[in-house]
Amino acid sequence: MGFSAAPGGGPVCACCAEPAVIYQPVNKRHLCDAHIVCDVEARVASTIREAGQIRAGDRIAVGLSGGKDSTALLVILSRLLPSWPGAGLVAITVDEGIAGYRTETIRAAETLTGRLGVEHRIVSFCDLIGDDLDTLLAGRKTQACTICGILRKKALTDAACTAGATAIATGHNLDDEAQSVLMNALRGDLPRLIRNTGTGRSAAFLPRIKPLAAIPEKEIAVYLFVQGLFSVLPECPYTSYALRAGVRTMLAGFENLHPGTMQHLVENKKIIERYCAGTPVMGRLHRCRECGDPCSGDLCQACRLRHSLGK
Amino acid sequence: MNVILPDQGIQVMERGAGTVGTLLQELGINPLEVIVSRNGKLVPEQTVIGGNDEIRIIRIAHGG
Repeated sequence: MGFSAAPGGGPVCACCAEPAVIYQPVNKRHLCDAHIVCDVEARVASTIREAGQIRAGDRIAVGLSGGKDSTALLVILSRLLPSWPGAGLVAITVDEGIAGYRTETIRAAETLTGRLGVEHRIVSFCDLIGDDLDTLLAGRKTQACTICGILRKKALTDAACTAGATAIATGHNLDDEAQSVLMNALRGDLPRLIRNTGTGRSAAFLPRIKPLAAIPEKEIAVYLFVQGLFSVLPECPYTSYALRAGVRTMLAGFENLHPGTMQHLVENKKIIERYCAGTPVMGRLHRCRECGDPCSGDLCQACRLRHSLGK
Repeated sequence: MNVILPDQGIQVMERGAGTVGTLLQELGINPLEVIVSRNGKLVPEQTVIGGNDEIRIIRIAHGG
């Protein structure tokens, strides 16, 4: 592979003569710090506009864990939001109650929202279900990500409704999206594979938008690093129990050898989604008989989980 | 060349000039899972490193 070298033995940016900080294998080009920032923000703006994810007057609830993806999401949305008159942000952090992990990320979330002047709300699993995650997982550690995922989604949705939000934005990146496609395929879960809660606006549920869905995880890390916003934070102690951990390693290996693999997976999911639109596999939307949340059956996942935990 | 690994361990490596990419390959690290700085500045995998460079490898995958 040929590239121009900067003083010090490194390649230079494809858009200017500055030293490059990243190589984009799919586009086969290097970018410097200023141009990767512009490039990421332009692609996020394009994702939002093409999918009509944000409208004038929207109040967007941003799920802010304090990790890199949600940090980048909040920074980018706070810069882009003036494009939509009357639109505003509220950041919501869910404190699952994971000893030695969440305290540091919550502190990072508080610092960021203070710096950006964004309203910040913190809700906890204790508020939602009466116990923290560490307590709920006694004897069930292998189910950690399933239990946490269901409760986190419920806590975020409830907090967004309370905050008067019109949409929920999450920091899922291209790697996350491709991993989810593969995980659902591995589980043989077609309805979940094609579910798209970001489609359209409905009185039944708050739309969930993923403005970073086209951005690779590495580019998000670089975007933050070059602006002095990247922090090395502890990893969730339950990560090793997740199917996602194995899928992440496998997919990253494929992507490294065959650039574009993750993008192809996500594009294929969209094709399947279009084929299945209006077919019985999509299922009908019901209301949970206990909490009234939209769901595919009689009870929503959160209420089913509450029963199984004896809550 | 001092190499600071993702677990904060430091490895002193005596080697001829090579690239960040070859270093990661030698260490068995997928370049998509890390970012790498040379003397505090972020560099892509094609950058030539060696001599007295301080290389820091930072893991970016973050569960949760």
